[in-house]
Amino acid sequence: MAASTSYETFIGLEIHIQLLTETKIFCGCKSKFGDKPNSNVCPVCLGYPGVLPALNEHAVELSYKVCRAMNCDLAKEGMFERKNYFYPDLTKNYQISQFEKPFGRNGYFEYESGGGIKRIRFHEIHLEEDAGKMIHQGGRSFCDYNRAGTCLLEIVTEPEFKEPQEAEDFLQAFRRTVRHLGVCDGNMEEGSLRCDANISINTPGAGLGVKTEVKNLNSSRFVKKALQYERRRQEKVLKSGGKIIQETRLWDEDKSVTESMRTKEEAHDYRYFPEPDLPPFRPDQAFFDMIEKSQIELPLARKQRLTEDYGLTPDQADYIVEEKAAADYFEAVVALGADAKTAAKWIMGNVAKELNRIDLSKADLGTEKCALSAERLTKLLGMLADNKIHGKIAAQTLAAIFNEDKDPEVIVKEQGWDSSADEGDLEKIVQQILDENPRVVEQIRGGDQKPRGFVVGKVMKATQGTANPQSVQSIIGKLIG
Amino acid sequence: MEKDDLLITAAQAQLALSAEEAGRLETAVSEMLDYFEMMNEVDVSNLPPTTHALVRENALREDNPNPNNNQEDLVNRAPENEDNFIVIPNVL
Amino acid sequence: MTELKEHDKDINSFLEFASEDAAASVAASANQDGPLAGLTFGVKDNIAVEGMHLTCGSKMLKDFVSPYDATAVRKLKEAGAVCVGKTNLDEFGMGSSTDNSALAVTNNPWDLECVCGGSSGGSAAAVAAGLVPFALGTDTGGSVRQPASFCGVYGLKPTYGVVSRFGLVAYASSLEVCGILADSVDTTRKVFEVIKGKDGSDQTSIDHIPASADAETVAVLAGDLGLKPEVETAYKKAVDGLKSSGMKIIEVELPMLDYGIAAYYTIAMAEASANLARYNGVRYGHRSAEAGSFEDLMRMSRDEGFGDEVKLRILLGTYVLRSGFQDQYYTRAQKIRTAVRNEFDGVFTKADMIMLPAFPTAAFKHGDQSLDQFQQKLADKFTVAANLSGMPAMSVPVSVENGLPVGMQLMAPVFAEERIFKVAEKLAEVLPPAACPLSMAGQRTTEAK
Repeated sequence: MAASTSYETFIGLEIHIQLLTETKIFCGCKSKFGDKPNSNVCPVCLGYPGVLPALNEHAVELSYKVCRAMNCDLAKEGMFERKNYFYPDLTKNYQISQFEKPFGRNGYFEYESGGGIKRIRFHEIHLEEDAGKMIHQGGRSFCDYNRAGTCLLEIVTEPEFKEPQEAEDFLQAFRRTVRHLGVCDGNMEEGSLRCDANISINTPGAGLGVKTEVKNLNSSRFVKKALQYERRRQEKVLKSGGKIIQETRLWDEDKSVTESMRTKEEAHDYRYFPEPDLPPFRPDQAFFDMIEKSQIELPLARKQRLTEDYGLTPDQADYIVEEKAAADYFEAVVALGADAKTAAKWIMGNVAKELNRIDLSKADLGTEKCALSAERLTKLLGMLADNKIHGKIAAQTLAAIFNEDKDPEVIVKEQGWDSSADEGDLEKIVQQILDENPRVVEQIRGGDQKPRGFVVGKVMKATQGTANPQSVQSIIGKLIG
Repeated sequence: MEKDDLLITAAQAQLALSAEEAGRLETAVSEMLDYFEMMNEVDVSNLPPTTHALVRENALREDNPNPNNNQEDLVNRAPENEDNFIVIPNVL
Repeated sequence: MTELKEHDKDINSFLEFASEDAAASVAASANQDGPLAGLTFGVKDNIAVEGMHLTCGSKMLKDFVSPYDATAVRKLKEAGAVCVGKTNLDEFGMGSSTDNSALAVTNNPWDLECVCGGSSGGSAAAVAAGLVPFALGTDTGGSVRQPASFCGVYGLKPTYGVVSRFGLVAYASSLEVCGILADSVDTTRKVFEVIKGKDGSDQTSIDHIPASADAETVAVLAGDLGLKPEVETAYKKAVDGLKSSGMKIIEVELPMLDYGIAAYYTIAMAEASANLARYNGVRYGHRSAEAGSFEDLMRMSRDEGFGDEVKLRILLGTYVLRSGFQDQYYTRAQKIRTAVRNEFDGVFTKADMIMLPAFPTAAFKHGDQSLDQFQQKLADKFTVAANLSGMPAMSVPVSVENGLPVGMQLMAPVFAEERIFKVAEKLAEVLPPAACPLSMAGQRTTEAK
């Protein structure tokens, strides 16, 4: 991917993920999206006089889990600080965040991009409280504090992406990873995963240039598009002898441009200082052991293992690893004895079609929502492999499993789809049809293969579709020669 | 403190000081800051800063929801509210 | 209740009394077997009591009613005590006279022309006047101990964190604690036993692990301490009183005290600038009627809602945290905080306790020009050390000079509250506290058995 530019590009991302906790970070209000405005609020998250924050244990655990998965140095002492700025979505007019002692530092993450594996380094990962939401209408702004105080983890990369495409590839891989970790649902549209980007360009070897920050990027595709636009814009400015102004720009997805926020951006002085209301967090060995134990095989490693150990194609492995539930399901099916490649093909094909039909997704595989347990798929594939049923019947049986929530053998038996005819029975049926159609026999003997299909069709009809067409073919060959 | 600094500080603190007020507070602010200068006499090179007077164990709360029933009462305390939103002049 | 209101007319220690009905129903349903059954109490109006105002003595919260109880208040109610009302204070606890209240002027029951001290002045005056046997206060830099001294009552500032701050409207979070103003050591002790303990709603709170209650040696300050004659005299009397109770006295020096003042105000104001940022007229409290834009609404609400002393402290606190100034002021102050603690730790290797004046003067007159706001801050030098170090301290009435009470402060290592109570009781035997001339007859509980 040769860059079409004479400049060197430096891109960094600042990602916020909403942690999947039951309650907010500092109070017992539910952490839930989409409820009636101001229905998940209390004196604490509304910043009432006299209230104090009480740190949520689970938020801390999930934070360390992410930090560990991202190969960070884990803080032996984590500390919260007050970040002071006034904004009406921030109920205390300071945000409790981390500054000097975040939970994670110096991490890195590997992802696929441009056909290879790339590594991005993280500057830090820290836990903080989210702000509320506002709707601006006419002369008024409407504040909803349901989101105020929900758990937010901020991940800051080094400015080391060289191409907008890398940033997009990374973001998709990162999203997949936090979903696998079970710490965030990764929904960019609803804002549970948010991404701001910063970009600067400079003549090669000269180091970082003056950066602009781009906000309002609510899909990974927009991250790429906005960065591509912003790089072109900066190039034009520099080529025409201008200077880049350090500023925040908003991505306008309708016009596909970035636009300066043009706010009177007073140099922010957040006046950070240690949060006196929260003691520092000093995890003991048991906590670190628990975090270590909570680690899982990350999607990239799992993909590599699925291709190497099971011979899946990269596309198949990608498809299966996209959702942890699907990957777990696939491996369960294989462990129960199914052929890996067949299982993969089925999961990507017929199973996907059926899930789609009943409004489920591969993320539901292996859950109670999904009638096709790993055992059932394994049995189904087993019957297919043993020639008890053939492909078309197997597909019918699959649909019936979803419709009737029954085991495949039961369905096949009830429906009489069993390839009841053993080879001897089938031979008699074929012989009878050949006897009834002497002309066809002659044609086949004369070298015309077309009438074979006619015979197979007759046999299928006679067996109500249960006969294996391949077996029928070989019997025809044997009887006619 | 210089007057400019006072005004920058007031802006950061979101206080709309009248000229008369600024004049009045300027003296008091400077008096106090001059007093703070005394801290420079102390050799602090080997002293760690103290934020929390007593060293404590970790304090964490379990991730269990609290039933709270008075959200509407809380919203109604806002000087202006409508349809469960708290309302202010348009921020943008 | 009517009687209380009547008696408080000239003193004006309460900003709000519980309604007759409310008090009666609370009293009827109160825990009759609780350790504080039947005791009435007042609550400084920066501590939350559900259904009552929480004004903090500020226009900003003049009409604000608390939707919840502070932890300390809840525990008192559970122990059978009955809250009769909210007491006056310096706005948000910022001051030493209660004259910084935007809502009322409270007079000292010993001399109505004098201030009652601050910032827990209303609580001190209410106890001195016999309206209640005890009241909750808050102590950020001496705000329980100094008014206790001015009003001739006991005033305990517990070990930091031992009493939950949940429901205490924050001024300087790392320094302050709920304290007790009471008519006797025994009442103080009983109340302390009830309100102490770790609280899940305040993660800086800790369990009380009692230190040894034995005291043999008390340290006192030597040299010229810049005290007014009446306090000088009272200090000497108290030292003699300790000696006659069999205590050994040693003299020490505390060179860090003056630096402590600078460090204390730097830290307190820095924390205040953030703690008071939430008052912007959006979700509750005063909203300016003048403002058009949001920016104006916020700035004008704050300008109209806060008094001068509050604005001064917010400005200074914002300034000392600004980048470029933070190391010079705030960070340095935090290091000096360590030095103050170290100095006291040193004293406590030689003595079990230290006795200091609570304040260099007795109660002064309203509007006294010789003690302006700046001078009053410097006069906190004897009290702020306990807040900087987290150690407990109690002001005990030891003398009445020229008709005004003077208190001394007993300070001990963390968790040594009982040691302080014991020595205070010994002092009370040799220097029995005088009753306030304006005290409401029959309301004061008797001294401990």
